[in-house]
Amino acid sequence: MKKDILKLGLALALFAAGACVALAMVYSVTKPTIEGHEARNLEASLKEIFPEADAFESLNGALSSGSAGVTVTGAWKASKGGATLGLAIRTLGKSYGGDAAMLVGVRTDRRLSGVRILTLSDTPGLGANATSPTYFVEKASKTTFPGQFKDKPVSDPFEVKNDVSAITASTITSKALTDMAKAAAQAGAAWLEKAAAGGM
Amino acid sequence: MQRLWKIFSKGIVYENPLLMLMIGLCSAVAVTSSVANAVGMGGAMTFVIVFAELVISLFRKLIPNDARIPIFIIVIAAFTTIIDLSMKAYLPELSKSLGVFIPLIVVNCIIMGRVEAFASKEKPLDAVVDALGMGVGYTWVLIGIAAFRELLGNGTLFAAQVMPEAFQPILFFTLPPGGFMVFALFISFNIWLKKAMERRAAAPAKEAA
Repeated sequence: MKKDILKLGLALALFAAGACVALAMVYSVTKPTIEGHEARNLEASLKEIFPEADAFESLNGALSSGSAGVTVTGAWKASKGGATLGLAIRTLGKSYGGDAAMLVGVRTDRRLSGVRILTLSDTPGLGANATSPTYFVEKASKTTFPGQFKDKPVSDPFEVKNDVSAITASTITSKALTDMAKAAAQAGAAWLEKAAAGGM
Repeated sequence: MQRLWKIFSKGIVYENPLLMLMIGLCSAVAVTSSVANAVGMGGAMTFVIVFAELVISLFRKLIPNDARIPIFIIVIAAFTTIIDLSMKAYLPELSKSLGVFIPLIVVNCIIMGRVEAFASKEKPLDAVVDALGMGVGYTWVLIGIAAFRELLGNGTLFAAQVMPEAFQPILFFTLPPGGFMVFALFISFNIWLKKAMERRAAAPAKEAA
């Protein structure tokens, strides 16, 4: 019996070790590419939200979300020639299929400059339509779900089916993303106000 | 050669994992709302099953019977992680839209079932051929169902508009209940196909007699 356990344990350990070596190799090969994608995605998203900005300065830990269930995981101050244009805030929240990450831009005039969904693992064909560039919540004006937040005043109520159009059959996704945009917008606006008052 | 063809072809109709063995259905219903997802999922799944069956068949004499299930899981999980990381690095868009279903290949009963029932007893070449047959059988069903659902539920194929503007998408087909219904249609189609093939195989035999 004792011998058996040793034998079984040894066999398991051997296979586990083999698998570890293989995974470590694949991981180290793909890691730079995956990180490159993430960095490029972030850079592209920041540029999309503040196209006129020429510099982004990371403000780690300077902001926190005032809403439960939504956390701020990063913030960047967008500026052009030294003048602050606004803030881009990355938030993490929970949607239908798990964690969702979103980048929200707030301008100094207390309006949103844009919203980009970075990660979302909701149902393909339903909640995932939030990230589709060809899915329009308002067909006439060809507005995508994140597109409708552009130029939205921070003081709006941010309520799905009131001032925010929902994705068909995906109320949970629509609500979760709207709450994240709202929390980020308010946190960003508050920071910008304080910065303006304090002369930062 | 004929023996290998027999092993390969049984996965496509006679023992199709989805339509005959009826295993691994959850992720199959979930990913078939668009054709691009179905192709990606079919490819990833085929990769994992081929390599898992190959490795387990190669080492089948070294795997102690009492510890075989954990060892199978280690091997399957390793290959699933490899394809997950590779897709994240080289096909980020596809990986994003498949989301959690790629890591979930680890617990897909098709792979576990084939490894346990076939690869742990047979020679490596047979195991790889069996895995390819199962992979092709899985992929054609996924693509078929996805084409049906995407066309009727969204009016598109590979995200390109196919149906005329006037066509009102039938959202029902994109939703899970519609998925189950299309699935049932495919199951009955496969049974019809199997019977037709059996009749054709029986006919020349009768002539000979």
